[in-house]
Amino acid sequence: MARYRYLFRQLVSRELRRKYKGSRLGVLWYLVNPLVLLAAYTLMFGHVLKVQSFPDYPIFLMIGIVVWTFFQQSLLASSESLIDQGPLVRKARFPREAIPASSVTVQLITFLAILALLLPVALALRDSVAPALLLLPVVVALLFCFALGCGLIVSVMHAYFRDVAPIVAAALLPWFFLTPIFYQPSTLPFAQQHAWVETLLAWVNPIAPFVEATRSILYSGTAPGWGVLVYIVCIAAATLGAGALVFRRMEGELAVVV
Amino acid sequence: MSEAELQLRPGEVVLRDATRWFNVRADNARTLKGMLLGRRVSGPPPVPALQGVSLRIERGETVGIVGRNGAGKTSTLRVLAGIVPLQAGTGGCGGRTISLLELGAGFSRDFSGRENIYLQGALYGLSRAELEPRVEQIVAFSELEGFIDVPVKTYSAGMMLRLGFSIAAHLEADVLLIDEVLAVGDEGFQRKCLRRISEQIAAGVTLVLVSHDAGAIERVCDRVVVLDAGRVEFDGPTAEGLLHYHRLMGTERGGGESLRPAGDRALHVLDVELRDSAGRTSAVFPSGAPLQVIVALRARRPVTDPVLALELRAQDGTRVYRTTHRFELDADGTAQLAFEVSALNLLGGDYDLALGAGHGAEAALAERTIRFSVAREEGPEGIVALDGSWRSMPAAEKRA
Repeated sequence: MARYRYLFRQLVSRELRRKYKGSRLGVLWYLVNPLVLLAAYTLMFGHVLKVQSFPDYPIFLMIGIVVWTFFQQSLLASSESLIDQGPLVRKARFPREAIPASSVTVQLITFLAILALLLPVALALRDSVAPALLLLPVVVALLFCFALGCGLIVSVMHAYFRDVAPIVAAALLPWFFLTPIFYQPSTLPFAQQHAWVETLLAWVNPIAPFVEATRSILYSGTAPGWGVLVYIVCIAAATLGAGALVFRRMEGELAVVV
Repeated sequence: MSEAELQLRPGEVVLRDATRWFNVRADNARTLKGMLLGRRVSGPPPVPALQGVSLRIERGETVGIVGRNGAGKTSTLRVLAGIVPLQAGTGGCGGRTISLLELGAGFSRDFSGRENIYLQGALYGLSRAELEPRVEQIVAFSELEGFIDVPVKTYSAGMMLRLGFSIAAHLEADVLLIDEVLAVGDEGFQRKCLRRISEQIAAGVTLVLVSHDAGAIERVCDRVVVLDAGRVEFDGPTAEGLLHYHRLMGTERGGGESLRPAGDRALHVLDVELRDSAGRTSAVFPSGAPLQVIVALRARRPVTDPVLALELRAQDGTRVYRTTHRFELDADGTAQLAFEVSALNLLGGDYDLALGAGHGAEAALAERTIRFSVAREEGPEGIVALDGSWRSMPAAEKRA
């Protein structure tokens, strides 16, 4: 496995360059797109359709959007990755996990770059520099494991069943609205009348605790609750384990199906 | 299934009762919906590619795999490369196995030739430090200096082969698996490839080569495996293996039928066939064996004094033998002639047999050419197998 490190590095750097090869801004496009999206959402949910009002609402919103965008892009990018890299799969026997893993890693790099832009602004505006900040790398690492687990499953499934990517893309849209990105389940007026709605929004959706954890560190300057921390550790480990298992089980025929 | 399980030494290649079949359906990709609904998969049944193939190749052996299209040659290589798993049996190669199976496999079209060298090296687990000293050798061997920094998508098939072969030949393989792709290269490059392959063989590489080019197999391989319908038909020395292969092909080819228009010649050669001592169509003959040339002719209008010319030429065009024969046409304007050679006194190599028909004043021009090979053996070289022998002369016979 270790001797394929150079392959993995090349897959990541090629993927980063490939998409915008020959364009003026080059890799900067990876930042432009999410930033434009951020601006649009801030305008819509912060001013036009005010669902809930929080102080420094753009920061509140951006944290949710950044976490969500990483998860969503990881799924979309890894779902097609094995098909895109078919010529490599048909050439040699190497650990094929490297392909979806490199797609998710590319998204992680983008995510970290945007986070680096967002972090000082959030910390300054929210005055949230606190010891809890030390937990941020842990949350990011767990989020990466979770996204990688999902990416492994989606990529290998899509290689065999070509309707997986469209299903995932379709599911991501309602999923976006069910994720507490521009609201918080506990303060949602409807959820306050029906407690089960809050439970549903906060705990059944596996991405919600990641949003909650990141937000409590960056926006509130407090460590996430124990419940959230235990949840994200368990879900990250379980998803990555399941992803690795499914991938191992299904990778045999990859060279035949891609 | 893995080489760990088989305990293979580097360079060793083993297949034990290898069995593999493929689904051949137009829409190769299944859909999740179809599976969830439990829809029965319609279409042709799976095609067996390998049916219990067993092979054992030792380090440094050079093996050619021949057979008809669809006999399982490429499947064998894909299984050996570990790209496609077996459904039953075990198999694998020991050490670093490098394959050249499909043109363009392993290439990333948007990236330059140079970037692709690093990528392919990494696919086989090499690091940047291991690859760097080899890159210039690879570029030089491929003769693509002027194109090495442009994207691979602009390459022709021949250029892809040049780069692909150069990479495969410079990564210090223990086992080299090469499919038909070499045929894409021009003659000069093919010769260069074969030379490089023989250098690697000298260095102890195990080679498994799939080819329809009997000449290439004969030059490079010590051993030939003939596959037919996913089974091993023959496994043994090259000369014998190629004889077997040509017999296999001959049974369904039935000689060399002319595909060219007959032109305005009144009399022409319809069909030429070479047969061995057992009366089977063949294209490879052992030196000294009987040979029969069967020629079918047809006249498009009545002719007088028909004549058939037969000429045997060596590879360099030297006329080895020529004969003409006057014959009678049957009532329906056709004729079938046999030219029988009791012992083919030729030495190993490729020969062309040219035939042409004429009549009266019309000359018999070479109209059809059929190529055959005489199996190479240890011993004298050249064209003619003289029935000569050496002896030491006793003193009494010595010249004064």
